[in-house]
Amino acid sequence: MISDPVGAPSGPGADRPALLTHAEPAMGTVFSVVMVPGDLAGPDLRSALRAACATLHHANAVFSTWDRQSPVSRFRRGEADLGQLPGEVAEVVADCRSARQISGGWFDPWAMPGGFDPTGLVKGWAVDRALAILRESGMAGAMVNGGGDLAAFGFPAPGQRWRVGIRHPWCADALAGIIEVGAAVATSGSYERGAHLIDPATAQPAGRSASATVTGPSLAMADALATAVAVGGDEALAVVAGVGGYDAYLIRPDGTETQTGGIAFVS
Amino acid sequence: MKRAPWYLAVGAIAGFAGVLGLTGRTAAPAASASKGQGSGTQGGQQGTGSGGAAPASTGQPAQATAPGGVHTASGALEQYGYGELSVKVTANGNKITNVTVPTLRTAEQYSQQLASQVIPMLKSQVLAADSARINGVSGATYTSQAYAMSLQAALDKLHIR
Repeated sequence: MISDPVGAPSGPGADRPALLTHAEPAMGTVFSVVMVPGDLAGPDLRSALRAACATLHHANAVFSTWDRQSPVSRFRRGEADLGQLPGEVAEVVADCRSARQISGGWFDPWAMPGGFDPTGLVKGWAVDRALAILRESGMAGAMVNGGGDLAAFGFPAPGQRWRVGIRHPWCADALAGIIEVGAAVATSGSYERGAHLIDPATAQPAGRSASATVTGPSLAMADALATAVAVGGDEALAVVAGVGGYDAYLIRPDGTETQTGGIAFVS
Repeated sequence: MKRAPWYLAVGAIAGFAGVLGLTGRTAAPAASASKGQGSGTQGGQQGTGSGGAAPASTGQPAQATAPGGVHTASGALEQYGYGELSVKVTANGNKITNVTVPTLRTAEQYSQQLASQVIPMLKSQVLAADSARINGVSGATYTSQAYAMSLQAALDKLHIR
């Protein structure tokens, strides 16, 4: 169902626009892509965008837990070993294992009702892959936002860092804060899709956060750690504080806030 | 060259009001937004924008001022959770220079009190958000349906730099 992105990028000016944007529906959400072309010619830019979108649709085909015939669904039911499935499944399972350990068990895809569920990591993983394709194309910079979890490289404009608004948990149009980032930002909360955040210890929906944001170099890991902080609240935030390169920002259910030292709020 | 359709912000502005009374961090106090408050148009043409979170498909603003000029646009009457309000935005080129609330209707006295606290913050927050020039919004994963109503979707249309 990939829509041909060739005609889709649009910018404020037809001649050498500074930023191009594209929105691609995939994995049940919409991926927003911002590209800084730099010296990359138009056809190469479009070809990179098309390849990045294709990798998102491929990730959906492999990791859809809704599609009962997808590789990940077969793995969940124990119908296939990792060796019989596309290599990406083993890669994501390894990332999940690593994230479970690093998060002190607060992120645990094996503790989900219904069996192994990598959803808390796999969208970030897919964005990382799409972004790598854009980076390798030679464009000057890009940001890919996978439905609220995003990663970027380069700069939106010379001397300007990427600025990311953190959605306010109780108002869709308001921001709880604005941060400057150079790589990944993931946010987790139950305000969009209901009580899907499960406490691995109790197998019940968790209630220790309204919103949890994690920044760091890898969006796959930031995505998993944001899920961990959303589930574990202050306790999980303390774990993230000890993970090199990663920082966390938590809005508690009562509206109070806390954060680790490396979150760079604007003003 | 087509400038960023800054009037799209009018729809999103209504949403700012509902929550600012609840959040701890509310940027600058109302003082920072009071410059020019109540002055409405500042010498440009007046027009009406279509409110709502997906206004691009529902209407065109009447404003036709050349890029760089001072112009205003009034949003449609919007539900904001406690009543209805409309917002008028003045911009100079792409830069929002003032926000006023010409219409405010609330059902209860409580809402009126809340709104009177919220709206000065609303103005400063809108001005702050404009100057912040965000590139993206991070939040809990939205469905493809919810995307259409999201701030990120508005950004994708605005090409905010």
